[in-house]
Amino acid sequence: MSPNAGAGLELRQLCRQVGDRRLLDRLDLHVAPGECVALLGPSGCGKSTTLRLVAGLDPASGGQVLLDGEDLSERGPGERQVAMVFQSYALYPHLSVAGNLELGLKVRGMAPRERQRRIDATLELLQLGELRQRRPAQLSGGQRQRVALARALLRDPRIVLLDEPMSNLDAQLREELRPELRRLLCGREQPVIYVTHDQQEAVGMADRIALLEAGRLQQVGSPRELYTNPANRFVASFLGRPAINLLAIEPGRQLGLRPEHLELGDNGAVAARLLRREWWGHQQLLWLDSPWGTLRVLTAPEAPTPPEPRLSWQRQHELWFDPQSGARLAP
Amino acid sequence: MNKRGTTLLMLPALLLLAAVFLYPLLRYAWLSLHASSVLTGLVPVPNGGANWGRLLDDARFWTDAVQTLRFALVSVALELVGGLALALLLHRPLRGRGPLRALTLLPWALPTTVMALGWRWILNDPHGPLNAAIRSLGGSSYGFLSTPATTWFFVVLADVWKTMPFVALLLLAGLQTIPLDLEEALRLEGASRLQILRRLTLPLLVPYLSLALLFRLAQALGVFDLIQVLTGGGPAGSTESLALYAYLNAMRFLDFGYASTVMLATFLLLLVLLGGGWLLLRRAGLERTSGRPA
Repeated sequence: MSPNAGAGLELRQLCRQVGDRRLLDRLDLHVAPGECVALLGPSGCGKSTTLRLVAGLDPASGGQVLLDGEDLSERGPGERQVAMVFQSYALYPHLSVAGNLELGLKVRGMAPRERQRRIDATLELLQLGELRQRRPAQLSGGQRQRVALARALLRDPRIVLLDEPMSNLDAQLREELRPELRRLLCGREQPVIYVTHDQQEAVGMADRIALLEAGRLQQVGSPRELYTNPANRFVASFLGRPAINLLAIEPGRQLGLRPEHLELGDNGAVAARLLRREWWGHQQLLWLDSPWGTLRVLTAPEAPTPPEPRLSWQRQHELWFDPQSGARLAP
Repeated sequence: MNKRGTTLLMLPALLLLAAVFLYPLLRYAWLSLHASSVLTGLVPVPNGGANWGRLLDDARFWTDAVQTLRFALVSVALELVGGLALALLLHRPLRGRGPLRALTLLPWALPTTVMALGWRWILNDPHGPLNAAIRSLGGSSYGFLSTPATTWFFVVLADVWKTMPFVALLLLAGLQTIPLDLEEALRLEGASRLQILRRLTLPLLVPYLSLALLFRLAQALGVFDLIQVLTGGGPAGSTESLALYAYLNAMRFLDFGYASTVMLATFLLLLVLLGGGWLLLRRAGLERTSGRPA
């Protein structure tokens, strides 16, 4: 181990190319011990690719994967001590819950007594004791996810990878399971990478978010940093729902304004006309027709709409972008 | 839909099955209790179960039963092992996998009669290509199909060569139902290829292996065309199968009463063997893998 090597997981200039398709382009990312970083982005952005490279399931075309300063790049998936929760959970359908947990330990040649002890402890931690004899087909989606998690945490991995672990669950269950998942993952020593395409989940689960698009890292930081200080137009429009308004009000510059930063009043810079109102309970979303196109505006649920509404905003909320490249411009 | 309606809708299919399956079977049973040969002018005359008595004492029948069973068990075992190896090979991402798969299936697509004629020519003494090759290497021609041991070997070989692709195809379909990430999950646990095969692939293939086993066993126990064309049951009856013996009774000896008895006995034997095998397999885990997670 070199003296200046950092603790935790470090990806250096990681690349993956298949034919002439660049799936991942020179990714640099550091995940501290005990930190959970969410890899966020649309389908095909390279987030699952990254996970598979860290796990060693696919070969990297370039770059390194370092754990506590130690290069894992040459090691096979079985020698990295990586645990992964698959999107499908990848439970062995022919084995019971206990059997699913046991197989990996058996393959590693652990003594039966030690296997039993570990399985019992993990099943208890995840409150799965009563289901130990069930087969995966007899479990609900949430239970399957917990079994997959149990299997991943069973043998004290040095890295934990989760590939869209919630995407097979319905929205309500997802929200219910989030605190539990965080309880089980956080406060451990391992670095955790959590892949998702759902920004709510990323914000809910991770300490930091790394946003990817087309195989390139766009920005990495806390949810607040990404939201308030986006590096480019993609970051600004990917994060935040309803999406940011992008207005071509000046040649050579594009103005981004979040829906909650637009104000409706009797006097303002621009006249607008109300098209539609979506009432969400805690807020309402107004769709307005303006000289700059259709705009989204968030207001308090009971805020009255003036008969001839005009729009205004504060300078500090302006985000400026290059219309071609999407790069962030100084105000 | 209520139960009565369901039964009603199934009736045409059931009637059809009864017409092509149940009726001939009952007819055999009836005929097996009659003498119906050239001696009776091909008119069925009740003979009080004499056919069944004759069957019990018929050494040729029992020899054929043993020969058929031995042929079926050995060739099906070889087909399963070879078919599995072939399927595993064809399942791997190889260059030109598509054409390779098609090529593998070719022997199976060939009509058995054509295939058997081909083998008969290859093994011909002294003009066949195999003997020509032996002679060109300095040996002398050998009567492959006139020695019981080599004849048996080549009958099995021809059957394995022809039907192994079918088994491979079935198992390949099974392999393709196994999600890739199951294997990846096990690889992350540090499992070797052999461990993955033993702990994951084979258990998940059990339903397909059972299916292949039952299909092939049923076909092999009723083997007729391959043997009829390749050896005619010879030499000295050493490759004669039960189906061939039943055929000879009917078509050569024109003893329809006894032929029906042999046929029915063969059918019952097959039923017991397959039924037993099926029950065993079911216990061994057929239902274990049914109902995978969505």
